[in-house]
Amino acid sequence: MLRRYLSILLIITLGCFTSCGWEAKSGEKTAEDKAEELKEASLAFFAMDTYMNIRAFGADDALLEEAQKAVTELEKKISVTDPSGEISLLNREGKSVLSEDTAALLARALELCSLTGGALDISVYPVVRAWGFTTEEYRVPAAAEIDGLLKNVDYGKIALNDSEVSLPAGMEIDLGSIGKGFAGDLISSVLKKAGVSSALMDLGGNIQALGSKPDGSPWRVAVRDPKGSGVIGVVQVTDGAVVTSGGYERYFEGEDGTVYWHIMDPATGSPSRSGLISATAVGSEGIYCDALSTALFVMGEERALEFWRERGDFEMILVTEDGRVLVSAGLKDAFTPDKSSGYEFSFTGEEKP
Amino acid sequence: MIRTRIWIIILSVLAAVLAAASALLLSARSGSRVAQLIRDGEVIEEIDLSRVASEYSFTVASEDGGYNTVSVRPGSIRVTEADCPDKICVEMGWLSDQSAPIVCLPHRLMIRLKGSADTDAVSQ
Repeated sequence: MLRRYLSILLIITLGCFTSCGWEAKSGEKTAEDKAEELKEASLAFFAMDTYMNIRAFGADDALLEEAQKAVTELEKKISVTDPSGEISLLNREGKSVLSEDTAALLARALELCSLTGGALDISVYPVVRAWGFTTEEYRVPAAAEIDGLLKNVDYGKIALNDSEVSLPAGMEIDLGSIGKGFAGDLISSVLKKAGVSSALMDLGGNIQALGSKPDGSPWRVAVRDPKGSGVIGVVQVTDGAVVTSGGYERYFEGEDGTVYWHIMDPATGSPSRSGLISATAVGSEGIYCDALSTALFVMGEERALEFWRERGDFEMILVTEDGRVLVSAGLKDAFTPDKSSGYEFSFTGEEKP
Repeated sequence: MIRTRIWIIILSVLAAVLAAASALLLSARSGSRVAQLIRDGEVIEEIDLSRVASEYSFTVASEDGGYNTVSVRPGSIRVTEADCPDKICVEMGWLSDQSAPIVCLPHRLMIRLKGSADTDAVSQ
């Protein structure tokens, strides 16, 4: 009698253990196997005034350190605060001979300024400084002061011949608006050359993907809700960049309670008031998306839409002050809105319901 | 005889507690749980494992003419049979959490469980 009960109990007990415990055990084992198979290396560091993080599959620590070195070298060259930087020197002297890399980067920057019709202008730097965004000693400059500074804001007056560059008197430039984006391209190329085909970089909120996830599926990049700490949705991306510009990144409140953010409209010399509170550019290149996210923010909804139709080589997500999220048609399958964010979502080329 | 009865009672209570605990654990783990079958990077099927009533199997054909037999039961999923050379997918057993997906590299098949916070980064 006892025996029979005991054996039944034993079976029940064993059954419980196998159904609860054994499964978990096998799950752990597969996790270990997988980790070994893919070998993920990651590196976090501080550069360009922000926190950067690289995750790469099939890479080793030495390779990531090489990528980090490339970024810190770039940072030194284009820094406007390090007196030994090439751009610092150019700003002080008004003319100089740049290294090949820096000259090429400046040429690309000028091309992007012109492409965006001046919505991006690397010579707006003295205005940004007057508002205190470079030192965090914020102030609202007088209208006359802004007007005076705006006279020297015009990327078109920068003369670049091969590596020789000269600026008109009173002009200073800053490549910061495209620096992080270019750093993403730089890291990608270092990793790619070493044979890495799957990596994700977070460069102070600029997200750049090399290839897809190790399993072949796209990376899932959430887009920050500019009005809170949540997200407005998720973009799936393979081999590309997702860069967002928003007023929430850096701002201060004036004495009258007005919020002033760091994204300057080169046309007014004041923080951009285009009706947008965030602009995200999605495309294949980091530098392009970095430039565009700023430019789209400054352009505002209508001009941005026009620009998007004209170019046809990037996608975008715009968030308006009045609670709408406008997603370009090319992201129809790649963007999943987070409806709980409370925004009204629409895709371009679609009539509102 | 009294001793035997005491043992029976103790063990019965123990068994009941264990059974209840395991039922609780199992139901908690099988909350809303969606398995994704991904072939060549494309989602070919999504199965809500919390709505599976009884165990069943089906076959997924790979592009090179091979196959994986997938079995589904309430709360979990596995590959039970395949004609791939390494059989790693079969050896991985039942998948019931998000720790690691089942991968059949030769057939470029992946089975994973979708989570709610399933993003890799935040653009900001």
